[in-house]
Amino acid sequence: MIPLMSALPLLFAFLTVLLDVLQARRGIIKAVFVLGVLSPLPVLWLAKGESEIVGGWAREAGIEVALTETNVPFILGELILFLFVAIYTVYYLDFRDRKTPKVLALFLLIHTGLLGAFIARDFFNFYIYMEIASVSAFALVAFSEERGAKRAAFKYLILSLLASYLFVFSIGLVYMETGYLNVELVSGTAVPSRALNTALALASASLILKAGIFPLHSWLPDAHSKAPTPVSAVLSGAVVKAPAYGMVLLFSALPSGGTFRTAIMGVAVASIFFGVAMALLQRNAKRLLAYHTVSQMGYILLGIASLNFAGAAYYAMAHSIFKGGLFLGVGSLATKSRKLGEFGYRNAPVMAFSILMLSLAIGGVSPFIGAYAKGLVSSGLATGWKLAVYLGTLGTLVSFTKLNYHLMGTEAPRVPSAWKLSSLGLALAALAAGVILGAGINPKDALSIALAVVLFFLLKALGILGKARPAPSRDAGRDINLMTMTLVAVIVILTLLHWLTPAGGR
Amino acid sequence: MKMSTVVRTTTKMVSPFLVTYAAYLMLYGHLSPGGGFQGGVILAVAVILLITSHGYAKVRRRFHFNWASLIESSAGALLVLLGLAGLAFGAFYANFLPTEGGIILPFNVIVGLEVGAAFTFVFYILLRWVESD
Repeated sequence: MIPLMSALPLLFAFLTVLLDVLQARRGIIKAVFVLGVLSPLPVLWLAKGESEIVGGWAREAGIEVALTETNVPFILGELILFLFVAIYTVYYLDFRDRKTPKVLALFLLIHTGLLGAFIARDFFNFYIYMEIASVSAFALVAFSEERGAKRAAFKYLILSLLASYLFVFSIGLVYMETGYLNVELVSGTAVPSRALNTALALASASLILKAGIFPLHSWLPDAHSKAPTPVSAVLSGAVVKAPAYGMVLLFSALPSGGTFRTAIMGVAVASIFFGVAMALLQRNAKRLLAYHTVSQMGYILLGIASLNFAGAAYYAMAHSIFKGGLFLGVGSLATKSRKLGEFGYRNAPVMAFSILMLSLAIGGVSPFIGAYAKGLVSSGLATGWKLAVYLGTLGTLVSFTKLNYHLMGTEAPRVPSAWKLSSLGLALAALAAGVILGAGINPKDALSIALAVVLFFLLKALGILGKARPAPSRDAGRDINLMTMTLVAVIVILTLLHWLTPAGGR
Repeated sequence: MKMSTVVRTTTKMVSPFLVTYAAYLMLYGHLSPGGGFQGGVILAVAVILLITSHGYAKVRRRFHFNWASLIESSAGALLVLLGLAGLAFGAFYANFLPTEGGIILPFNVIVGLEVGAAFTFVFYILLRWVESD
């Protein structure tokens, strides 16, 4: 039953292309697309809490898929995001363009890839589905007509493929050492060894690159900000979650030393602060949101490295909902110009309401889902790390005060009601999920917000905000070389870190 | 783009045999070395050989661009439907046929069609891009 979750969107993706070839009417194609997006929902409803081997083989020989408490939040977040993105996309794409049905098919392929990766309990199967999602994502970024989009897509393609090959290599090492690819079987047989340490370091570095976390993030702001709005929402909301889930699988199966995990937590905190700092400097609204993805992925990595997988999963779900909503909301206002201060929501109360709600949710204010997820992530941490999470949250609030300050000042363009519906829907989903999960109301949040507003005006008076000019268009090859050097450095450092851990430590 | 008479005649003679060989690989993939992917690649090679020797414009009239797309997408859909059919017998992709090799035979044939059509399709798109220069 569970494999249907990725099989049904795949079927509908092929049907979309088939109907396009047969020159069906656009209404039918749209209906098939929406049906394909919705099709995994009943499967999730009917098949809960089971594990299953595809085709009924033995566990050693088959591909295991499962719905567990660590992957159901990932799946739910993805499904909620895709539901609203589908509504947005149907009204966003111009059906006079002959490429439109192909774009819809690519969206369904991303859906297939992500769901397939999230249900996987097998490293190789996970890799295959993550690649289906990434390859469709490259094509969708390149579809954008904005200047520099092709270059961004090319950079994303080369770096992501490089990371993928290293990941496959590390899976090969795991298979060589343990004889299994299944997560359960690997975790049963893995004993710390040099080969496994190298595999862990390689796989973590490549997944950190694919998730766009700090030292290896440089492809992300370009790719996410240049893509068409619904694609940005899917990329930031869902595609970067597949490597995060891969890291959950990795850390739950392979023995990782204490020093190694502390180093990864350091990377996570660096990513949180770096993302916020860069976001504060941006003038381009979509770029600001893209840098926040770098920052928010840090919290997820923090949860994974402290072996708090449920926390990471719920944070991933929360991030899917609010970041997707923010991209859809800000993207529908910024149709003419992306520059802060040139567009706003002054005369569009629905947009203002949803963007404000989503800003509170991303800032971890209760009773939104962000507060619940942040509480869960920081619950297992020592005091020093908790402080880092709080300061990061404060930075996020300052940055979103800036966004809303600029949005408040200007009149809104005409926004179609389907676009309003999708951002409002995600805002309400963020609130409802928080209430259902029991985020509660925390009076301290009011203090944080007040502090953030004061800090914002202080920084504004000092003239620090809005310094970053759009990056000069450099040679893409040079960027790729720089990133590859950083990637190799990270791999070497992570591999050597294992030497510092006393022997026998898990 | 059109090659000499020798090349054209040779490819014309070789292509039907390539198709036969592709069919053999697909139909006997469960018993001997081979399978859907290999068969599909050879199927595509038969068309690609004709294109390189006779020119795109001439081959396109027989092997229409839309047909490749049609075969590709319907084979993809059939592949998922084959898995769904197994669901009635217990599991996704359950081996429900009582014949020798079970569902591997239809699976190989569908994969062969999918891969063959997809490679032809990709080659057509690349050629269209080259010819537009």
